[in-house]
Amino acid sequence: MEAAVEIDRLVKVFKPQLRGRELLAVDQVSITIAPGEVYGLIGPNGSGKSTTMKALLGLVAPTSGTCRIFGADSLAVDSREQVGFLPENPYFYKHLTGEETLAFYGKLCGLRGQTLKDRIGELLELVDLTGARDRRLGGYSKGMLQRIGLAQALIQEPRLVILDEPTAGVDPIGSRQIRDLIFALRERGITVFLCSHLLEQVQEVCDRVGIIFRGKMVREGRLEDLLSIEDQTEVVLKDASPELLEEIQRLVAQAEGAEWVRSGRPRTTLERLFLRETSRRPD
Amino acid sequence: MNSASPLKPTRPFHLRRIGIIATHTFTQLVRMKVFYFLAFFAVVVIGANFLELPTHASPENAGTELLYSIKSTSLGCMSIFSLVLGVVATGLLLPKDVEDRTLYTILAKPVPRLDYLVGKLCGVALLIFLSLLAMDLLMNLVLQPRMTAVLERQLEFARQRDATEATLERISADVRALGPTWSLQGAVLVVFLRSLLIASLALLLSTFSTSTLFTAIVGFLVLFAGFFQAEARDAWFGHHGGVAQVGRLIMTVLLPDMQFYNLVDAVIEGKPLKAIHLGMSIASTAFYVVTYTFASWLIFARKEF
Repeated sequence: MEAAVEIDRLVKVFKPQLRGRELLAVDQVSITIAPGEVYGLIGPNGSGKSTTMKALLGLVAPTSGTCRIFGADSLAVDSREQVGFLPENPYFYKHLTGEETLAFYGKLCGLRGQTLKDRIGELLELVDLTGARDRRLGGYSKGMLQRIGLAQALIQEPRLVILDEPTAGVDPIGSRQIRDLIFALRERGITVFLCSHLLEQVQEVCDRVGIIFRGKMVREGRLEDLLSIEDQTEVVLKDASPELLEEIQRLVAQAEGAEWVRSGRPRTTLERLFLRETSRRPD
Repeated sequence: MNSASPLKPTRPFHLRRIGIIATHTFTQLVRMKVFYFLAFFAVVVIGANFLELPTHASPENAGTELLYSIKSTSLGCMSIFSLVLGVVATGLLLPKDVEDRTLYTILAKPVPRLDYLVGKLCGVALLIFLSLLAMDLLMNLVLQPRMTAVLERQLEFARQRDATEATLERISADVRALGPTWSLQGAVLVVFLRSLLIASLALLLSTFSTSTLFTAIVGFLVLFAGFFQAEARDAWFGHHGGVAQVGRLIMTVLLPDMQFYNLVDAVIEGKPLKAIHLGMSIASTAFYVVTYTFASWLIFARKEF
Protein backbone atom coordinates (compact mmCIF):
# COMPACT_ATOMS: atom_id res chain seq x y z
CA MET A 1 0.00 0.00 0.00
CA GLU A 2 1.25 3.51 -0.82
CA ALA A 3 2.51 5.33 2.29
CA ALA A 4 0.70 8.50 3.33
CA VAL A 5 4.02 10.10 4.29
CA GLU A 6 7.45 9.01 3.21
CA ILE A 7 10.37 11.06 4.44
CA ASP A 8 13.64 9.57 3.29
CA ARG A 9 16.96 10.62 4.84
CA LEU A 10 15.90 14.25 5.14
CA VAL A 11 18.67 16.74 5.83
CA LYS A 12 18.05 20.44 6.27
CA VAL A 13 20.86 22.91 6.77
CA PHE A 14 20.03 26.58 7.28
CA LYS A 15 22.73 28.78 5.85
CA PRO A 16 23.25 32.22 7.37
CA GLN A 17 22.62 35.14 5.00
CA LEU A 18 25.84 36.98 5.84
CA ARG A 19 27.99 35.71 8.71
CA GLY A 20 27.54 33.05 11.31
CA ARG A 21 27.57 29.28 11.38
CA GLU A 22 25.40 26.92 9.41
CA LEU A 23 22.64 25.26 11.39
CA LEU A 24 21.94 21.58 10.89
CA ALA A 25 18.26 21.50 11.79
CA VAL A 26 17.38 18.01 10.55
CA ASP A 27 19.91 15.23 10.09
CA GLN A 28 19.09 12.08 8.11
CA VAL A 29 15.52 11.75 9.39
CA SER A 30 13.37 9.06 7.83
CA ILE A 31 9.69 8.57 8.64
CA THR A 32 7.07 6.42 6.99
CA ILE A 33 3.42 6.78 7.97
CA ALA A 34 0.82 4.33 6.76
CA PRO A 35 -2.64 5.57 5.67
CA GLY A 36 -5.03 5.91 8.61
CA GLU A 37 -2.25 6.00 11.17
CA VAL A 38 -1.80 8.67 13.86
CA TYR A 39 1.89 9.43 14.11
CA GLY A 40 3.42 11.65 16.76
CA LEU A 41 6.76 13.35 16.39
CA ILE A 42 8.02 14.44 19.77
CA GLY A 43 11.07 16.32 20.87
CA PRO A 44 12.16 19.37 22.82
CA ASN A 45 11.94 22.90 21.39
CA GLY A 46 14.36 23.44 18.52
CA SER A 47 14.85 19.73 17.88
CA GLY A 48 13.74 19.92 14.23
CA LYS A 49 10.06 18.90 14.48
CA SER A 50 8.64 21.97 12.76
CA THR A 51 11.37 21.99 10.10
CA THR A 52 10.51 18.38 9.24
CA MET A 53 6.86 19.34 8.90
CA LYS A 54 7.66 22.39 6.79
CA ALA A 55 9.81 20.26 4.50
CA LEU A 56 6.88 17.90 4.12
CA LEU A 57 4.67 20.83 3.13
CA GLY A 58 7.20 22.33 0.72
CA LEU A 59 7.64 25.44 2.86
CA VAL A 60 11.36 24.68 3.12
CA ALA A 61 13.40 22.81 0.53
CA PRO A 62 15.40 19.78 1.76
CA THR A 63 19.17 20.16 1.58
CA SER A 64 19.18 16.46 0.74
CA GLY A 65 16.71 13.62 0.98
CA THR A 66 13.11 13.50 -0.17
CA CYS A 67 9.62 14.00 1.24
CA ARG A 68 6.61 12.41 -0.41
CA ILE A 69 2.91 12.62 0.31
CA PHE A 70 0.87 9.73 -1.11
CA GLY A 71 3.70 9.24 -3.58
CA ALA A 72 3.89 12.87 -4.76
CA ASP A 73 7.00 14.97 -4.19
CA SER A 74 6.14 17.48 -1.48
CA LEU A 75 7.82 20.29 -3.42
CA ALA A 76 5.15 19.92 -6.10
CA VAL A 77 2.02 21.98 -5.48
CA ASP A 78 -0.18 19.03 -6.45
CA SER A 79 0.96 17.10 -3.35
CA ARG A 80 -0.98 19.58 -1.20
CA GLU A 81 -4.32 18.54 -2.67
CA GLN A 82 -4.44 15.79 -0.04
CA VAL A 83 -3.04 17.71 2.93
CA GLY A 84 -4.53 19.84 5.67
CA PHE A 85 -2.14 21.79 7.88
CA LEU A 86 -2.57 23.51 11.22
CA PRO A 87 0.53 25.53 12.14
CA GLU A 88 1.67 26.22 15.68
CA ASN A 89 -0.13 29.26 17.17
CA PRO A 90 -2.08 30.02 13.99
CA TYR A 91 -3.14 33.60 13.41
CA PHE A 92 -5.74 33.68 10.72
CA TYR A 93 -7.08 36.85 9.14
CA LYS A 94 -8.69 38.67 12.05
CA HIS A 95 -10.98 40.66 9.77
CA LEU A 96 -12.75 37.53 8.58
CA THR A 97 -15.54 35.70 10.40
CA GLY A 98 -15.29 31.98 11.09
CA GLU A 99 -17.52 31.23 8.13
CA GLU A 100 -15.60 33.59 5.79
CA THR A 101 -12.32 32.00 6.86
CA LEU A 102 -13.49 28.54 5.90
CA ALA A 103 -15.01 29.89 2.68
CA PHE A 104 -11.68 31.50 1.74
CA TYR A 105 -9.66 28.32 2.28
CA GLY A 106 -12.35 26.18 0.70
CA LYS A 107 -12.36 28.30 -2.45
CA LEU A 108 -8.58 28.04 -2.66
CA CYS A 109 -9.04 24.28 -2.73
CA GLY A 110 -11.58 24.53 -5.53
CA LEU A 111 -14.79 24.15 -3.54
CA ARG A 112 -17.74 26.39 -4.30
CA GLY A 113 -21.49 26.74 -4.28
CA GLN A 114 -23.67 24.47 -2.17
CA THR A 115 -20.83 21.94 -1.70
CA LEU A 116 -18.76 24.62 0.00
CA LYS A 117 -21.68 25.86 2.12
CA ASP A 118 -22.49 22.34 3.27
CA ARG A 119 -18.86 21.62 4.06
CA ILE A 120 -18.53 24.83 6.09
CA GLY A 121 -21.65 23.98 8.10
CA GLU A 122 -20.42 20.44 8.71
CA LEU A 123 -16.97 21.58 9.87
CA LEU A 124 -18.28 24.35 12.11
CA GLU A 125 -20.43 21.76 13.78
CA LEU A 126 -17.53 19.34 14.08
CA VAL A 127 -15.34 21.92 15.85
CA ASP A 128 -18.28 23.26 17.86
CA LEU A 129 -18.16 26.78 16.43
CA THR A 130 -21.58 27.02 14.80
CA GLY A 131 -22.60 29.71 17.28
CA ALA A 132 -19.53 31.80 16.43
CA ARG A 133 -19.71 31.46 12.65
CA ASP A 134 -20.54 35.15 12.11
CA ARG A 135 -18.09 36.47 14.67
CA ARG A 136 -14.78 37.91 13.45
CA LEU A 137 -11.68 35.93 14.36
CA GLY A 138 -10.30 38.96 16.18
CA GLY A 139 -12.82 38.14 18.93
CA TYR A 140 -12.03 34.40 19.13
CA SER A 141 -10.28 32.85 22.12
CA LYS A 142 -7.08 30.87 21.69
CA GLY A 143 -8.95 27.56 21.82
CA MET A 144 -11.49 28.76 19.26
CA LEU A 145 -8.67 29.83 16.94
CA GLN A 146 -7.11 26.39 17.19
CA ARG A 147 -10.45 24.79 16.41
CA ILE A 148 -11.15 27.03 13.42
CA GLY A 149 -7.59 26.26 12.34
CA LEU A 150 -8.35 22.59 12.48
CA ALA A 151 -11.54 23.18 10.49
CA GLN A 152 -9.62 25.02 7.74
CA ALA A 153 -7.12 22.17 7.67
CA LEU A 154 -10.00 19.76 6.98
CA ILE A 155 -11.89 21.92 4.49
CA GLN A 156 -11.03 19.95 1.33
CA GLU A 157 -11.44 16.57 3.06
CA PRO A 158 -7.72 15.81 3.02
CA ARG A 159 -6.37 12.29 3.46
CA LEU A 160 -3.50 13.58 5.58
CA VAL A 161 -3.67 16.18 8.37
CA ILE A 162 -0.50 17.72 9.74
CA LEU A 163 -0.84 19.32 13.16
CA ASP A 164 2.01 21.35 14.64
CA GLU A 165 1.52 21.73 18.40
CA PRO A 166 -2.29 21.69 18.07
CA THR A 167 -2.94 22.34 21.75
CA ALA A 168 -0.21 24.90 22.42
CA GLY A 169 -1.56 27.57 24.77
CA VAL A 170 -5.01 25.99 24.94
CA ASP A 171 -6.71 25.30 28.30
CA PRO A 172 -7.37 21.66 29.33
CA ILE A 173 -10.98 21.71 28.13
CA GLY A 174 -9.99 23.09 24.72
CA SER A 175 -7.12 20.65 24.63
CA ARG A 176 -9.51 17.78 25.30
CA GLN A 177 -11.81 18.95 22.49
CA ILE A 178 -8.91 18.98 20.05
CA ARG A 179 -7.86 15.54 21.19
CA ASP A 180 -11.39 14.27 20.64
CA LEU A 181 -11.27 15.72 17.14
CA ILE A 182 -8.06 13.80 16.45
CA PHE A 183 -9.80 10.63 17.60
CA ALA A 184 -12.68 11.48 15.27
CA LEU A 185 -10.23 11.88 12.37
CA ARG A 186 -8.74 8.48 13.12
CA GLU A 187 -12.23 6.99 13.13
CA ARG A 188 -12.74 8.41 9.65
CA GLY A 189 -9.49 6.85 8.38
CA ILE A 190 -7.63 10.14 8.02
CA THR A 191 -3.88 9.97 8.54
CA VAL A 192 -2.64 12.36 11.23
CA PHE A 193 0.94 13.57 11.57
CA LEU A 194 1.13 15.27 14.94
CA CYS A 195 4.02 17.24 16.27
CA SER A 196 4.15 18.10 19.94
CA HIS A 197 6.26 18.29 23.03
CA LEU A 198 3.26 17.46 25.26
CA LEU A 199 4.08 13.82 25.86
CA GLU A 200 0.87 12.82 27.59
CA GLN A 201 -1.17 14.11 24.67
CA VAL A 202 0.89 12.18 22.16
CA GLN A 203 0.68 9.05 24.29
CA GLU A 204 -3.08 9.32 24.36
CA VAL A 205 -3.75 9.71 20.63
CA CYS A 206 -0.86 8.26 18.65
CA ASP A 207 -0.39 4.79 17.22
CA ARG A 208 3.29 5.33 16.56
CA VAL A 209 5.80 7.90 17.73
CA GLY A 210 9.22 9.15 16.76
CA ILE A 211 11.53 10.94 19.16
CA ILE A 212 13.66 13.60 17.52
CA PHE A 213 16.53 15.23 19.35
CA ARG A 214 19.00 17.75 17.96
CA GLY A 215 17.78 17.01 14.45
CA LYS A 216 18.23 13.25 14.66
CA MET A 217 15.62 10.54 15.05
CA VAL A 218 16.71 8.78 18.22
CA ARG A 219 13.80 6.33 18.67
CA GLU A 220 10.80 5.30 16.64
CA GLY A 221 8.14 2.63 16.86
CA ARG A 222 4.67 1.58 17.99
CA LEU A 223 3.68 3.27 21.21
CA GLU A 224 2.83 0.00 22.96
CA ASP A 225 6.25 -1.44 22.08
CA LEU A 226 8.12 1.62 23.21
CA LEU A 227 6.30 2.04 26.51
CA SER A 228 5.87 -1.52 27.72
CA ILE A 229 8.39 -2.80 30.29
CA GLU A 230 9.30 -6.21 28.98
CA ASP A 231 9.80 -8.06 32.28
CA GLN A 232 6.82 -6.71 34.23
CA THR A 233 3.08 -7.50 34.26
CA GLU A 234 0.38 -5.18 35.55
CA VAL A 235 -2.77 -6.49 37.27
CA VAL A 236 -5.46 -3.99 38.31
CA LEU A 237 -8.13 -5.23 40.76
CA LYS A 238 -11.34 -3.58 41.83
CA ASP A 239 -12.71 -3.87 45.40
CA ALA A 240 -10.02 -6.39 46.37
CA SER A 241 -10.02 -7.25 50.08
CA PRO A 242 -6.76 -7.08 52.13
CA GLU A 243 -7.02 -10.84 52.55
CA LEU A 244 -7.09 -11.41 48.81
CA LEU A 245 -4.08 -9.16 48.32
CA GLU A 246 -2.23 -11.03 51.03
CA GLU A 247 -3.05 -14.31 49.32
CA ILE A 248 -1.78 -13.07 45.97
CA GLN A 249 1.43 -11.80 47.59
CA ARG A 250 1.92 -15.17 49.23
CA LEU A 251 1.46 -16.98 45.89
CA VAL A 252 3.96 -14.66 44.22
CA ALA A 253 6.49 -15.28 46.99
CA GLN A 254 6.11 -19.04 46.47
CA ALA A 255 6.59 -18.81 42.70
CA GLU A 256 10.10 -19.27 41.41
CA GLY A 257 11.72 -16.24 39.75
CA ALA A 258 8.72 -13.92 40.26
CA GLU A 259 8.92 -10.84 42.48
CA TRP A 260 6.20 -8.59 43.98
CA VAL A 261 7.29 -5.10 42.94
CA ARG A 262 4.57 -2.85 44.33
CA SER A 263 0.90 -2.47 45.09
CA GLY A 264 -1.24 0.55 45.73
CA ARG A 265 -4.07 2.67 44.32
CA PRO A 266 -3.79 3.69 40.67
CA ARG A 267 -3.71 7.45 40.26
CA THR A 268 -5.62 9.63 37.91
CA THR A 269 -3.87 12.47 36.14
CA LEU A 270 -4.14 16.10 37.21
CA GLU A 271 -5.71 16.84 33.83
CA ARG A 272 -8.43 14.20 34.27
CA LEU A 273 -9.11 15.50 37.78
CA PHE A 274 -9.36 19.06 36.45
CA LEU A 275 -11.71 18.05 33.65
CA ARG A 276 -13.88 16.01 36.01
CA GLU A 277 -14.14 18.81 38.54
CA THR A 278 -14.76 21.61 36.05
CA SER A 279 -17.38 19.65 34.13
CA ARG A 280 -19.28 18.98 37.37
CA ARG A 281 -19.59 22.65 38.30
CA PRO A 282 -22.78 24.39 37.29
CA ASP A 283 -22.34 27.57 35.17
CA MET B 1 -12.83 11.00 -0.86
CA ASN B 2 -11.57 14.35 -1.96
CA SER B 3 -14.35 16.38 -3.51
CA ALA B 4 -12.20 19.45 -4.19
CA SER B 5 -11.42 18.73 -7.79
CA PRO B 6 -12.51 21.69 -9.95
CA LEU B 7 -9.07 23.39 -9.85
CA LYS B 8 -7.11 20.25 -10.79
CA PRO B 9 -4.49 19.97 -12.09
CA THR B 10 -2.73 22.62 -10.01
CA ARG B 11 -1.22 24.77 -12.70
CA PRO B 12 0.15 28.23 -11.99
CA PHE B 13 -1.64 31.40 -13.07
CA HIS B 14 -5.11 30.06 -12.50
CA LEU B 15 -7.44 33.04 -12.92
CA ARG B 16 -10.11 31.86 -10.47
CA ARG B 17 -7.60 31.20 -7.73
CA ILE B 18 -5.95 34.58 -8.38
CA GLY B 19 -9.41 36.15 -8.22
CA ILE B 20 -10.07 34.52 -4.82
CA ILE B 21 -6.82 35.90 -3.37
CA ALA B 22 -7.39 39.30 -4.99
CA THR B 23 -10.93 39.56 -3.61
CA HIS B 24 -9.71 38.55 -0.18
CA THR B 25 -6.88 41.14 -0.29
CA PHE B 26 -9.39 43.78 -1.33
CA THR B 27 -11.69 42.85 1.58
CA GLN B 28 -8.73 42.88 3.95
CA LEU B 29 -7.71 46.40 2.92
CA VAL B 30 -11.29 47.67 2.99
CA ARG B 31 -11.70 46.32 6.53
CA MET B 32 -8.44 48.06 7.44
CA LYS B 33 -10.51 51.19 6.77
CA VAL B 34 -8.43 52.62 3.93
CA PHE B 35 -11.63 53.97 2.38
CA TYR B 36 -11.71 56.59 5.14
CA PHE B 37 -9.41 58.49 2.82
CA LEU B 38 -12.37 58.99 0.50
CA ALA B 39 -14.15 61.04 3.17
CA PHE B 40 -11.03 63.21 3.47
CA PHE B 41 -10.95 63.52 -0.32
CA ALA B 42 -14.60 64.57 -0.43
CA VAL B 43 -13.94 67.32 2.12
CA VAL B 44 -10.90 68.57 0.16
CA VAL B 45 -12.68 68.60 -3.21
CA ILE B 46 -15.83 70.22 -1.88
CA GLY B 47 -13.63 72.71 0.01
CA ALA B 48 -11.70 73.50 -3.17
CA ASN B 49 -15.04 74.25 -4.85
CA PHE B 50 -15.65 77.09 -2.43
CA LEU B 51 -12.10 78.39 -2.37
CA GLU B 52 -11.84 82.12 -3.02
CA LEU B 53 -8.62 82.46 -4.98
CA PRO B 54 -6.87 85.78 -5.65
CA THR B 55 -7.54 86.29 -9.34
CA HIS B 56 -5.18 87.75 -11.92
CA ALA B 57 -7.44 86.92 -14.79
CA SER B 58 -9.28 89.46 -16.88
CA PRO B 59 -13.10 89.52 -16.54
CA GLU B 60 -13.55 87.41 -19.66
CA ASN B 61 -11.56 84.61 -17.99
CA ALA B 62 -13.21 84.90 -14.59
CA GLY B 63 -13.74 81.61 -12.73
CA THR B 64 -11.19 79.56 -14.62
CA GLU B 65 -8.75 79.55 -11.66
CA LEU B 66 -11.36 77.72 -9.62
CA LEU B 67 -11.66 75.03 -12.29
CA TYR B 68 -7.86 74.64 -12.33
CA SER B 69 -7.89 74.49 -8.54
CA ILE B 70 -10.55 71.77 -8.35
CA LYS B 71 -8.72 69.62 -10.91
CA SER B 72 -5.30 70.26 -9.47
CA THR B 73 -6.39 69.50 -5.89
CA SER B 74 -8.33 66.41 -6.91
CA LEU B 75 -5.61 64.91 -9.10
CA GLY B 76 -2.99 65.79 -6.48
CA CYS B 77 -4.95 63.93 -3.81
CA MET B 78 -5.52 61.01 -6.16
CA SER B 79 -1.79 60.80 -6.91
CA ILE B 80 -0.77 60.90 -3.24
CA PHE B 81 -3.43 58.41 -2.15
CA SER B 82 -2.75 55.94 -4.94
CA LEU B 83 1.04 56.08 -4.59
CA VAL B 84 0.99 55.76 -0.80
CA LEU B 85 -1.50 52.91 -0.99
CA GLY B 86 0.42 51.24 -3.81
CA VAL B 87 3.67 51.23 -1.85
CA VAL B 88 2.52 50.83 1.75
CA ALA B 89 -0.36 48.39 1.29
CA THR B 90 1.57 46.15 -1.09
CA GLY B 91 4.68 46.34 1.05
CA LEU B 92 2.70 45.53 4.18
CA LEU B 93 0.62 42.57 3.01
CA LEU B 94 3.29 39.99 2.31
CA PRO B 95 5.46 40.47 5.45
CA LYS B 96 2.28 40.53 7.54
CA ASP B 97 1.17 37.18 6.14
CA VAL B 98 4.60 35.73 6.93
CA GLU B 99 4.68 37.20 10.43
CA ASP B 100 1.15 36.04 11.26
CA ARG B 101 1.83 32.62 9.68
CA THR B 102 -1.29 32.95 7.57
CA LEU B 103 0.99 32.42 4.59
CA TYR B 104 1.75 28.89 5.85
CA THR B 105 -1.88 27.92 5.77
CA ILE B 106 -2.32 29.39 2.28
CA LEU B 107 0.78 27.79 0.77
CA ALA B 108 -0.08 24.50 2.50
CA LYS B 109 -3.14 24.46 0.23
CA PRO B 110 -2.70 23.71 -3.48
CA VAL B 111 -1.83 27.34 -4.24
CA PRO B 112 1.14 28.07 -6.54
CA ARG B 113 3.27 30.91 -5.23
CA LEU B 114 2.83 32.87 -8.47
CA ASP B 115 -0.95 32.87 -7.97
CA TYR B 116 -0.52 34.15 -4.44
CA LEU B 117 1.72 37.03 -5.56
CA VAL B 118 -0.42 38.00 -8.54
CA GLY B 119 -3.56 37.75 -6.39
CA LYS B 120 -2.11 40.12 -3.79
CA LEU B 121 -1.10 42.62 -6.48
CA CYS B 122 -4.48 42.40 -8.18
CA GLY B 123 -6.22 42.98 -4.82
CA VAL B 124 -4.27 46.19 -4.23
CA ALA B 125 -4.82 47.24 -7.86
CA LEU B 126 -8.58 46.65 -7.50
CA LEU B 127 -8.70 48.79 -4.37
CA ILE B 128 -6.75 51.63 -6.00
CA PHE B 129 -8.86 51.42 -9.14
CA LEU B 130 -12.18 51.56 -7.30
CA SER B 131 -10.93 54.34 -5.02
CA LEU B 132 -9.79 56.40 -8.01
CA LEU B 133 -13.09 55.70 -9.73
CA ALA B 134 -14.99 57.02 -6.71
CA MET B 135 -12.72 60.07 -6.48
CA ASP B 136 -13.01 60.68 -10.22
CA LEU B 137 -16.79 60.55 -9.96
CA LEU B 138 -16.79 63.02 -7.10
CA MET B 139 -14.39 65.35 -8.93
CA ASN B 140 -16.63 65.32 -12.02
CA LEU B 141 -19.73 65.91 -9.91
CA VAL B 142 -18.13 69.00 -8.41
CA LEU B 143 -16.47 70.16 -11.62
CA GLN B 144 -19.45 69.90 -13.99
CA PRO B 145 -21.78 72.46 -12.33
CA ARG B 146 -18.83 74.78 -11.66
CA MET B 147 -17.78 74.62 -15.30
CA THR B 148 -21.37 75.30 -16.41
CA ALA B 149 -21.54 78.32 -14.11
CA VAL B 150 -18.20 79.71 -15.36
CA LEU B 151 -19.26 79.15 -18.98
CA GLU B 152 -22.57 80.95 -18.49
CA ARG B 153 -20.83 83.87 -16.79
CA GLN B 154 -18.23 84.20 -19.56
CA LEU B 155 -20.78 83.86 -22.34
CA GLU B 156 -22.93 86.50 -20.69
CA PHE B 157 -19.95 88.84 -20.40
CA ALA B 158 -19.04 88.21 -24.05
CA ARG B 159 -22.61 88.84 -25.22
CA GLN B 160 -22.65 92.15 -23.35
CA ARG B 161 -19.59 93.08 -25.41
CA ASP B 162 -21.38 92.01 -28.64
CA ALA B 163 -19.07 89.08 -29.33
CA THR B 164 -19.49 87.23 -32.61
CA GLU B 165 -20.86 83.70 -32.83
CA ALA B 166 -17.34 82.42 -33.57
CA THR B 167 -16.01 84.10 -30.42
CA LEU B 168 -18.79 82.58 -28.34
CA GLU B 169 -17.99 79.16 -29.73
CA ARG B 170 -14.29 79.61 -28.95
CA ILE B 171 -15.10 80.67 -25.36
CA SER B 172 -17.41 77.70 -25.01
CA ALA B 173 -14.74 75.30 -26.27
CA ASP B 174 -12.03 76.82 -24.06
CA VAL B 175 -14.13 76.60 -20.88
CA ARG B 176 -15.41 73.11 -21.64
CA ALA B 177 -11.79 71.99 -22.02
CA LEU B 178 -11.34 72.93 -18.36
CA GLY B 179 -14.29 70.81 -17.24
CA PRO B 180 -14.85 67.05 -17.18
CA THR B 181 -13.30 65.87 -20.45
CA TRP B 182 -12.14 62.51 -21.75
CA SER B 183 -8.59 63.81 -21.31
CA LEU B 184 -9.30 64.35 -17.63
CA GLN B 185 -10.50 60.74 -17.30
CA GLY B 186 -7.35 59.71 -19.17
CA ALA B 187 -5.25 61.63 -16.62
CA VAL B 188 -6.93 59.66 -13.82
CA LEU B 189 -6.09 56.47 -15.73
CA VAL B 190 -2.45 57.62 -15.89
CA VAL B 191 -2.50 58.15 -12.09
CA PHE B 192 -3.78 54.59 -11.74
CA LEU B 193 -1.12 53.18 -14.07
CA ARG B 194 1.64 54.94 -12.14
CA SER B 195 0.41 53.55 -8.81
CA LEU B 196 0.09 50.07 -10.33
CA LEU B 197 3.71 50.24 -11.44
CA ILE B 198 4.83 51.35 -7.98
CA ALA B 199 2.71 48.62 -6.34
CA SER B 200 4.42 45.95 -8.45
CA LEU B 201 7.79 47.40 -7.46
CA ALA B 202 6.74 47.31 -3.78
CA LEU B 203 5.73 43.67 -4.26
CA LEU B 204 9.20 42.88 -5.61
CA LEU B 205 10.86 44.70 -2.71
CA SER B 206 8.68 42.97 -0.12
CA THR B 207 9.78 39.52 -1.34
CA PHE B 208 13.22 40.11 0.17
CA SER B 209 12.74 43.09 2.48
CA THR B 210 12.17 42.43 6.15
CA SER B 211 10.37 45.68 6.93
CA THR B 212 7.58 47.68 5.40
CA LEU B 213 9.53 50.87 6.15
CA PHE B 214 12.43 49.72 3.96
CA THR B 215 9.99 48.83 1.16
CA ALA B 216 8.28 52.22 1.43
CA ILE B 217 11.52 54.22 1.46
CA VAL B 218 13.09 52.34 -1.46
CA GLY B 219 9.80 52.41 -3.35
CA PHE B 220 9.53 56.18 -3.11
CA LEU B 221 13.24 56.59 -3.92
CA VAL B 222 12.79 54.59 -7.13
CA LEU B 223 9.74 56.69 -7.95
CA PHE B 224 11.75 59.88 -7.43
CA ALA B 225 14.78 58.57 -9.35
CA GLY B 226 12.48 57.50 -12.18
CA PHE B 227 11.76 61.14 -13.00
CA PHE B 228 15.45 61.55 -13.91
CA GLN B 229 15.90 58.18 -15.58
CA ALA B 230 16.10 59.52 -19.13
CA GLU B 231 18.62 62.23 -18.24
CA ALA B 232 20.74 59.86 -16.15
CA ARG B 233 20.68 57.23 -18.88
CA ASP B 234 21.98 59.71 -21.48
CA ALA B 235 24.51 61.29 -19.11
CA TRP B 236 25.99 58.03 -17.84
CA PHE B 237 25.93 55.85 -20.90
CA GLY B 238 25.77 58.27 -23.85
CA HIS B 239 24.30 57.07 -27.12
CA HIS B 240 27.06 55.11 -28.81
CA GLY B 241 29.07 51.96 -28.19
CA GLY B 242 28.22 48.42 -27.19
CA VAL B 243 28.83 48.86 -23.45
CA ALA B 244 26.76 52.05 -23.46
CA GLN B 245 23.88 50.22 -25.15
CA VAL B 246 23.99 47.42 -22.56
CA GLY B 247 24.17 49.97 -19.74
CA ARG B 248 21.18 51.86 -21.15
CA LEU B 249 19.23 48.64 -21.51
CA ILE B 250 19.94 47.51 -17.93
CA MET B 251 19.01 50.91 -16.55
CA THR B 252 15.83 51.00 -18.61
CA VAL B 253 14.78 47.56 -17.39
CA LEU B 254 15.56 48.25 -13.74
CA LEU B 255 14.32 51.79 -13.41
CA PRO B 256 11.07 53.00 -14.97
CA ASP B 257 11.03 56.31 -16.78
CA MET B 258 8.43 58.23 -14.79
CA GLN B 259 8.35 60.98 -17.45
CA PHE B 260 5.88 58.76 -19.31
CA TYR B 261 3.40 59.59 -16.57
CA ASN B 262 4.03 63.35 -16.55
CA LEU B 263 0.82 64.05 -18.42
CA VAL B 264 -1.40 65.24 -15.64
CA ASP B 265 -0.28 68.89 -15.45
CA ALA B 266 -1.02 69.47 -19.13
CA VAL B 267 -4.51 68.02 -18.69
CA ILE B 268 -5.17 70.31 -15.71
CA GLU B 269 -4.34 73.25 -17.99
CA GLY B 270 -6.99 72.03 -20.40
CA LYS B 271 -4.69 70.51 -23.02
CA PRO B 272 -5.89 67.30 -24.64
CA LEU B 273 -4.24 64.01 -23.71
CA LYS B 274 -2.84 62.49 -26.86
CA ALA B 275 -3.59 58.83 -27.52
CA ILE B 276 0.07 58.13 -28.26
CA HIS B 277 1.12 59.41 -24.84
CA LEU B 278 -1.59 57.38 -23.07
CA GLY B 279 -0.57 54.34 -25.12
CA MET B 280 3.07 54.77 -24.09
CA SER B 281 2.04 54.98 -20.41
CA ILE B 282 0.02 51.78 -20.76
CA ALA B 283 2.86 49.99 -22.57
CA SER B 284 5.44 51.17 -20.03
CA THR B 285 3.22 50.05 -17.13
CA ALA B 286 2.56 46.66 -18.69
CA PHE B 287 6.28 46.11 -19.27
CA TYR B 288 7.35 47.01 -15.72
CA VAL B 289 4.46 45.27 -13.97
CA VAL B 290 5.22 42.02 -15.84
CA THR B 291 8.99 42.40 -15.28
CA TYR B 292 8.70 43.20 -11.58
CA THR B 293 6.10 40.49 -10.95
CA PHE B 294 8.24 37.91 -12.73
CA ALA B 295 11.27 38.96 -10.65
CA SER B 296 9.11 38.78 -7.50
CA TRP B 297 8.10 35.24 -8.39
CA LEU B 298 11.72 34.20 -9.05
CA ILE B 299 12.66 35.32 -5.53
CA PHE B 300 9.47 34.21 -3.77
CA ALA B 301 9.47 30.74 -5.36
CA ARG B 302 12.81 29.99 -3.67
CA LYS B 303 11.96 31.60 -0.38
CA GLU B 304 11.76 29.41 2.72
CA PHE B 305 9.42 30.02 5.62
